[in-house]
Amino acid sequence: MVRDKEKPTIRRLTGDVGDMKRGLGVSIALSVVAGVLVAGAASGGSWDERVFGSHVDFDAVASAGPAALTALIERGRELFKAKFTTADGAGRPKATQAIIPTKRKSGINPPFSRTSGPDSNSCFGCHNDPIEGGSGDDIANVFVSEGFESAQFDNIDPSFSSERHTIALMGAGLVELLAREMTADLQAIRAEAVAHARVTGEPCRADLVTKGIRFGWIEAHPDGMVDLDSVDGVDADLIVRPFSRKGVFTSLRQFTINALNVHHGMEAVERFGVRWTGSHDFAESGVPDAITPGDVSALVAFQAALPPPTVKADLPADWRAAASEGAKQFQAIGCVSCHVETLPLKSLVFTDPAPYDMAGTLRASEAKALIRIDLSTFPFARTLQKNDKGEWLIPLYSDLKRHLVVDETVNALGNELQAQRFVERDVFLTPRLWGVGSTAPYGHNGAFRMLDEVIVAHGGDARFSRDAYLALDPEQRDSIVAFLRSLVIEAP
Amino acid sequence: MRTVLGLLIVLAVFAAARAADGPQKPLGDVPVMHEEAEAAGIHSVYDGPWEFFVGGGGAAFDCDGSGFPSVFLAGGKNPAKLFVNRSKAGGPLRFEEKPLDIGADPKLLQNVIGAYPIDIDGDGHMDLFVLRVGGNLLLKGGPDCGFTLTNKEWNFDGDPGWTTSFAAEWEPGQKFPTLAIGHYVDRNAPGSPWGTCQENSLYRPQPGDRPDYSVRTPLAPGFCALSMLFTDWNKSGVPSLRVSNDRQYYRGGEEQMWRIEPGKTPRLYTRADGWRHLSIFGMGIAEGDIDGSGYPEYFLTSMGDEKLQKLDPDEAGRAELPVYRDIAAEVGATAHIPYTGGDKRPSTAWHAEFADFNNAGLLDIFVSKGNLEQMPDFAARDPSNLLLGQWNGKFAEAGDEAGVAGDRKGRGALIADFNLDGCLDILQINRGSDVSLFRNLGAKNGDGPPLPMGNWTEIRLVEPNPNRNAVGAKISVKTGTRAQTRTVQVGGGDASGHAGWIHVGLGTAERAEIRVQWPDGEWSASYRVFANQFVVIDRAKPQAAYWYPGR
Repeated sequence: MVRDKEKPTIRRLTGDVGDMKRGLGVSIALSVVAGVLVAGAASGGSWDERVFGSHVDFDAVASAGPAALTALIERGRELFKAKFTTADGAGRPKATQAIIPTKRKSGINPPFSRTSGPDSNSCFGCHNDPIEGGSGDDIANVFVSEGFESAQFDNIDPSFSSERHTIALMGAGLVELLAREMTADLQAIRAEAVAHARVTGEPCRADLVTKGIRFGWIEAHPDGMVDLDSVDGVDADLIVRPFSRKGVFTSLRQFTINALNVHHGMEAVERFGVRWTGSHDFAESGVPDAITPGDVSALVAFQAALPPPTVKADLPADWRAAASEGAKQFQAIGCVSCHVETLPLKSLVFTDPAPYDMAGTLRASEAKALIRIDLSTFPFARTLQKNDKGEWLIPLYSDLKRHLVVDETVNALGNELQAQRFVERDVFLTPRLWGVGSTAPYGHNGAFRMLDEVIVAHGGDARFSRDAYLALDPEQRDSIVAFLRSLVIEAP
Repeated sequence: MRTVLGLLIVLAVFAAARAADGPQKPLGDVPVMHEEAEAAGIHSVYDGPWEFFVGGGGAAFDCDGSGFPSVFLAGGKNPAKLFVNRSKAGGPLRFEEKPLDIGADPKLLQNVIGAYPIDIDGDGHMDLFVLRVGGNLLLKGGPDCGFTLTNKEWNFDGDPGWTTSFAAEWEPGQKFPTLAIGHYVDRNAPGSPWGTCQENSLYRPQPGDRPDYSVRTPLAPGFCALSMLFTDWNKSGVPSLRVSNDRQYYRGGEEQMWRIEPGKTPRLYTRADGWRHLSIFGMGIAEGDIDGSGYPEYFLTSMGDEKLQKLDPDEAGRAELPVYRDIAAEVGATAHIPYTGGDKRPSTAWHAEFADFNNAGLLDIFVSKGNLEQMPDFAARDPSNLLLGQWNGKFAEAGDEAGVAGDRKGRGALIADFNLDGCLDILQINRGSDVSLFRNLGAKNGDGPPLPMGNWTEIRLVEPNPNRNAVGAKISVKTGTRAQTRTVQVGGGDASGHAGWIHVGLGTAERAEIRVQWPDGEWSASYRVFANQFVVIDRAKPQAAYWYPGR
């Protein structure tokens, strides 16, 4: 699981952290992380290009507890910004970008391909606007293809791929925690309905409502069958998948493993390793077991700990007034029916691995101990409001539900020709609007330069709000823009 | 000096080659198969004189509507028993014996060789075809695991003899299934047992609103059939009947395949049809598509001579001729001698079945083994095999590591997910001792607790009568570029069969697309399903539904 090459990276890592933090707690963290990054035999000079002089040992980190978190997150930041090299295993000469380990039919992948990937040298290469972990300009768009059959597609025709704008990762840990709680609620509703139907001998219809969001309904039958025809906006297994434009990734961990392979050709052992492929080097990059579970955890911890976007603090008076009015209009015309202002969260304790991942992404039941990150101890937690139940109110402006955003006459967002992971081409997860003021251009493929343009492009389930928006007078519309532009990503 | 160096290099290369050619070690998960028959409450011993050296089967099926498979177990000279599954989902296995009252002489439950579940009359309750020495039984299933002898009502004379194999299919236009019955030695024939194999039988349902098996069609010659299976070997949509025969007693016999065409007299495939002579101690047939070609491969058990047959790419054309090549050696699936325990005499193999025990998305092979009785030329300690499919197309033995390699005389086996946790378990019937019940706990993890294995789906097909359980349907489960095929069959193995959930391992796939080729040949649209769910595909409904255990 752990493969290491040298000491300099450890020194470099601990030195960086030491520059950032001071005090006894940090010293403990550094000693712990030094214990989980074991030096290997090969050694390069201090100029070594490689990222991986050492790998993170998941079990050691998990057993170390909170003392290891600071350094783990910092290691995640390093990996997030690292430019992976050939010597690290970057590139996938013989494998496609598919999330299921898939060999190319023939030929070899070039080191980079703007379409099928690898298309980036680092996570930061796209997630950099306005700060690390953020969004990206249009130049950083990626092209999504399932990648099973067409590993070497060489154009951006929507027949072959779907263009996607970079999503900011700020507050991602909170988002995943919300999705976990919602999944638990929905699956509990299902279990209760199944049990009720069996006991009563009568069909049992149950509304799928969690955190005030309605995901349709199911009907359970006495024989254990569950009709799923009326499930709405969530997958049939009732797992809320909060990541990607389509809402098809369950966890930061799953997203990270997918992205490492697609974008960098860095293949995680827990998906592409010998257990699932019979090979230590499935992509034939020349570097076996390139990404350990601990490495993935470092990246997950970094992303989970990213502070959520904020409201711009130093607004000029005219902007503040307009934004205040815009927030009212935003609510009045029904934008909040999907872009729900806040969702309540019971616990801020983020655990890794996640509870609903499946084989190919390290599962909680595969770990001796979980990495536990209590986000309530982070400074950003002090900015979160609570409701009267003591739940944290997460101001993400999303319902974490998928919606149809296209209709017959308003269909600018329906420009894809491929479904993705069972989600139809014109259905998308409600984008989180926190930070939207910092993440232009807009829309799933970044096709809209201005907020007004993307609002007007809303059709389908959002048509009524869009029409109401158009019915406002220009000042009122502009106030909504003022409001949205006040939701920003700022350096902590 | 140069010569010595050259020799050393040659030896080194040879050693490396030997290492490379040695048995492959399993690279993926090895399932931990925990034997817990006694704790589960199952006590059943298959035993008896010569007639019961063979057989030793049973049936696994849902008899109470719970979704959990219960088991009917042959006892040979001992009475057959029914154990109702009381397990909870994901928990230890629990069974409760339910005394069988078939509304007839209880002695009919003795001399049972094996059984297969099949809903003959399409009433939604699984019936049982019970193989016996004497006359066979048709037990009509009812609610709450009740069974009633129905030979008379269904005009079935029992096809007396020493029945050792069975298979069934629904022929086009028939309300009820066609039954194929295979016999062993005719003990009353002059010169018995040598060269006195009894001919086999085919019972086609007669017109009417209830099953009527009054007309027997002989399948002659019979060569002591220990396993039969209707199989669509060439994807023609018209299954043929493969018969595996025991060369111990026949004279001039061989493996057989019958052309069973609707309304026509059965006809053997001959040399002119491309059928090649093969003579083995045929004991059990298993079918599986191990290479994703859509054409089935066959594992044939024998004595020291297991076969894994694949259509010969050079001589079979596009499945125009049933010419098969034995690939057991090249893929490491010969299983011809014990792999542990030190006894290197040839093995005696009985039940074989393709299944995915570690949910890797690759078919594995389970082979039950055990000495006939006290045959000195064959291994006395003969562990069953668990050959795990590998990503390079080969198989790796994991029986010892998994825990199925005990000192038993294995016979038939029931492979089913008895606790509905997504992992296949094994019930092995043993001659002369209690059955073994192996619960699949998950992947071996050193000294730590077993780990969860790959993703899975379990599928149940439903279509309107006749043939409500879609016997003969093919299920294609696509994940990424790979498609796995399963066929709904009644027959094969060693006098053992199961009905119910059809298990498919999915490896790391989180989603799968399922297409069904229904028994009439019509392909369904694609059903999109998520992993780790029980999926019910009703032909009358556009979407698959999910099912959840009630306990």
